[in-house]
Amino acid sequence: MHRSALLLRRHLVLNPSSRTLAYTVRSRSYSSTPPKPSLLLQYCPWSSAFRGSLGARAFLQAIAYSLIIVGGLQYANIERSVSPNLETTQYGSVEDVKKAIEELRVAFNDPQAVATDPESLKIYGSSEHSYHPISPHAVIVRPKSTDDVVKVVNIARRYRVPIVPYSGATSLEGHFSGHPTGSICLDMSKMDEILKINVDDSDLTCQSGARWEDINQTLKNRGIPLFFPLDPGPGATIGGMIGTGCSGTNAVRYGTARSEWFLNLTVVLPDGSVVKTRRRARKSAAGFDTTKLFIGAEGTLGIVTEVTLRLTPVLPTKVAMAQFPNVQNAVSAVQEILNSTQGPHIQCIELLDDHMMGAINDAGFVDNPYPVKDTLFFKIQGDSKSIKETSKVVNEVIKRHSGSNFKFASTDAEADEMWLNRKYCLMSSIAANPGHRCWTTDVCVPVSRLPQLVQETKEDLASHNLRSTIVGHVGDGNFHALILFKNEEELKHVEEAVHRLVHRALALDGTCTGEHGVGLGKKQYLTEELGEETVELMRKIKRTVDPFNILNPGKLYPNKRDS
Amino acid sequence: MASIQALQRICTRRSVTLALSRASARPYTRHFSQTFKRFSESGQGNNPPKSSPTLANLGIAVAGGVVGVIAYSSFDRLEELKTLFLHPKPKSKYGSPEDFAKAIEDLRQLLPSEDVSTNPDDLLVHGFSPNDHHPACSPSVVVYPRSTKDVVKIVKIASKYRMPVIPYSGATSLEGQFRGHETGGICVDMNHMDSILEIHEADSDIVCQPATRWMDINETLKEKGIPLFWPIDPAPGATIGGMLSTGCSGTNAVRYGTAKGEWFLNATVVLPSGEVIKTRRRSRKSSAGFDVTKLFIGAEGTLGIVTEVTIRLAPVLPTTVAVAQFPDVRSATSAVTEVLNSGVGIQCVELVDDVFMKATNKYGMSKRKWAEKDSLFFKFQGPSQGSLKETAEVVKRIVRKHGATGFELARTKEEADELWSDRKNAHYSGLALIPGAKGWPTDVCVPVSKLPELVAETKKDLEEIGLLSTIVGHVGDGNFHALILFENDEEFERAQGAVHRMVRRAIALDGTCTGEHGVGIGKRKYLVEELGAGTVQLMKTIKKAVDPLDLFNPGKLYPDDEELPGTKGDPSSKS
Repeated sequence: MHRSALLLRRHLVLNPSSRTLAYTVRSRSYSSTPPKPSLLLQYCPWSSAFRGSLGARAFLQAIAYSLIIVGGLQYANIERSVSPNLETTQYGSVEDVKKAIEELRVAFNDPQAVATDPESLKIYGSSEHSYHPISPHAVIVRPKSTDDVVKVVNIARRYRVPIVPYSGATSLEGHFSGHPTGSICLDMSKMDEILKINVDDSDLTCQSGARWEDINQTLKNRGIPLFFPLDPGPGATIGGMIGTGCSGTNAVRYGTARSEWFLNLTVVLPDGSVVKTRRRARKSAAGFDTTKLFIGAEGTLGIVTEVTLRLTPVLPTKVAMAQFPNVQNAVSAVQEILNSTQGPHIQCIELLDDHMMGAINDAGFVDNPYPVKDTLFFKIQGDSKSIKETSKVVNEVIKRHSGSNFKFASTDAEADEMWLNRKYCLMSSIAANPGHRCWTTDVCVPVSRLPQLVQETKEDLASHNLRSTIVGHVGDGNFHALILFKNEEELKHVEEAVHRLVHRALALDGTCTGEHGVGLGKKQYLTEELGEETVELMRKIKRTVDPFNILNPGKLYPNKRDS
Repeated sequence: MASIQALQRICTRRSVTLALSRASARPYTRHFSQTFKRFSESGQGNNPPKSSPTLANLGIAVAGGVVGVIAYSSFDRLEELKTLFLHPKPKSKYGSPEDFAKAIEDLRQLLPSEDVSTNPDDLLVHGFSPNDHHPACSPSVVVYPRSTKDVVKIVKIASKYRMPVIPYSGATSLEGQFRGHETGGICVDMNHMDSILEIHEADSDIVCQPATRWMDINETLKEKGIPLFWPIDPAPGATIGGMLSTGCSGTNAVRYGTAKGEWFLNATVVLPSGEVIKTRRRSRKSSAGFDVTKLFIGAEGTLGIVTEVTIRLAPVLPTTVAVAQFPDVRSATSAVTEVLNSGVGIQCVELVDDVFMKATNKYGMSKRKWAEKDSLFFKFQGPSQGSLKETAEVVKRIVRKHGATGFELARTKEEADELWSDRKNAHYSGLALIPGAKGWPTDVCVPVSKLPELVAETKKDLEEIGLLSTIVGHVGDGNFHALILFENDEEFERAQGAVHRMVRRAIALDGTCTGEHGVGIGKRKYLVEELGAGTVQLMKTIKKAVDPLDLFNPGKLYPDDEELPGTKGDPSSKS
């Protein structure tokens, strides 16, 4: 660029005759010499009436031309990268990516912080639990502070290299897979500190790479009778939970990440600026809450570096289970229990179908095998008296819905084991079926539609000879069918079955994802679920906040041509 | 070394190009040397160069080019310069009075005549509120849509004639949220859209129109024998649409959270473009991207007009009420923290100060003579009378530990209602303290542990300036309202100063300028201090993207650009 600009500039300095303006001005000055040229012409370096030295003329012309050239190139550059469609963004070339990596190395000056070994790049760009197309990253960067993240964002923007935020790597829809043009994987795992615990305000400030289990363990170790109630997959981090808008088994009692558990976030925006979305008060009506903009945005709008989250008192709990003749009975019992006055004492209520119970037995994680029947797991909270009262009501409701064997875990150890079995359903399903892999599905419908959805899904899977286990957060209308497969051919059948399952959920006024997020896997359903206008509003916000489409491109927002 | 060689190469090439260009540039050179001669003859060029003038010029030209490039790269404020030079003073972005007259004509054509009003009384009512102290400002016209389609028609007319649109429903807001715009505008009164459309008992949700009043919803559910209710309880008369737009809360927030929680499952919204979106479906959870519903919660009608809402309900539980007196606010607050952390069933816990108790005694609606002390009103909830009793026991023990001097538990439901109504009458009993006085309801919120400090300092401040106020606080959330009484303009000014100091104090304690009343006109000036320029800029960026003509409730919520220090315009202009 520089050389051509120089040549062009020199050419213009030496050949003003190529400029119409200079030509007309000169010819006029030859035909008749005006007594006094106008002031404008006296200061115009292209005019023959210019009142300055030749050097000044050349100097001014050069300034003008260079402004035009540099400005023009810059303008063209912006035009090229800010395209109206998210899918046609131009990213940096292989060379640019290399330069960006070099600059990252210089900026961090720590071999641990910037990694490019092919093995890691591949591992960080793929997940063994999802089956979406994967690509490795170009580089992994491990920031230690918000400032580090700003550095990375600025470098990425300069070279137009996509950034993919990464932390717990437990997500299931390809959220952290690499970008084909080469991406910076921003591994937040070094930012996992708890910065401050305010017991009196029941809140806590931590970095986004902190794991929810570690937070609860720390609180327990310090004898603080509070906990953070969102409980997604083991190993999930706070940043990832925000990005996904996750939930877990406790959602029945405590809601999801979209509720009021995140008091504020510190976020690095794509332009490199750092914002803190709110202060630490528990409530605020100061405009729409920008915190919520980043919850569920899957790292496409900003990178969360610090979080204040709200805690809740630890209450005594007891775990119980009951068996049902079929899923319908179980689900209708759940509805009645939750709408009763005892509802608030139910912390969790989980459905495991007969296949799942069989898998747990087969996996060999339990001493005494469970009955192989559709089963509800309950976690009831409260003091011993209210637990007793609640269980009485629950037992009555269960009996009314043809359930049986309502039984508490006799010891805490047994309760923990029971709950652990629920939390490790994915592992059990795989362990019980050696040689199989497992596709975890995730749809959610209004609670009353759940029996129909589960019934039809089970029939559909059976008719296609697909083996699956079912676990469901039935209290929320959310369930996961874990569909097993051995080879590529079966994978194809699974894919089709998942497709049908999602459509079934959408037809019942539900969603394609209850808690796992969109990522790559669910993009195609978003327009059908939310409508083109809503999706376009989301895209509009994405384009406004991230005009260069640097943050986690290719995820979440469906392409326009798909719809 | 390598760079010197490169430089030499460039230089050689340059002289070649120079020689070539000289041949073709003869007339020009002649012209140049003539001009040059003229200058030197008139004594302006003192030192004629000894070498070829073109070569010297070349060096100067290169220097000029470098200066140009540097000049360009320092053009960080290009956008600002551009607007400064190209559009020095843009005309009003809104239409002229003639445009507005045409808009009103169009509205009359598209909507039934009774749904479009320019009656001066109507206009006055819609641009004024007795509950706040901002100057009245009437809209040009009030329209009463009956469906989402009507709202779309109105929005399209508004954007055609560049006319501000101000949504209106319960009119209970306290920060001037529904004030008219100075250039005029369309007030969209939603009150014809107040039906409950569907009740899904099995899913515990209902679909309703935005002007439905929350109290009517709960009344309807009760009448139909459905054991569910809507737990967000702001001022009586508030509508669902207004509650959504304010991001409100109420006394139940301790147990159920606020409008910013998960109570709004989806909203149907008319955007400034006239498009209609439904933010989500009806399932209780969804991880399908960031939740667009949340964008409109607290946006005060600046991003869209809500025309239909699906809200989630909760089971009705038996409740009872207790009142305890404390020596001071600090001991009351620490009692509350411990009670809440004990995990017993607390639905509400409200702090009132000694002056409030005095006012309640004076107001004369209460059957009791209260001890005039800082007190807590508790509302317990539990599945059975037994569990309520148990909760009461636990709370009694804890409040005693923190120095409570009295603890009165309602024995019957009637008694509970009576006790609670003393708290609910706060606004009127407070005003009764000085007959004829007006009250300024304030609203700040801090982390709970900072509340005693905030209340103490605020009380001291008010005492010093000689203004009477009652204090009621949603102490479980760290939110409190001082109702400052004033009788004349001079006192009003003093009150203004006190409110200003109180807000600054709350923000300094990591709190917010508004816990539940919203920003409107009154709190705009505090937003940058509270949220930071970057966050406010982000909000404005979104506003600009969604409503580029700034037609939806302009002048509310967002601080003006001049109030944003240190940010350089739109982030998209940076690279």
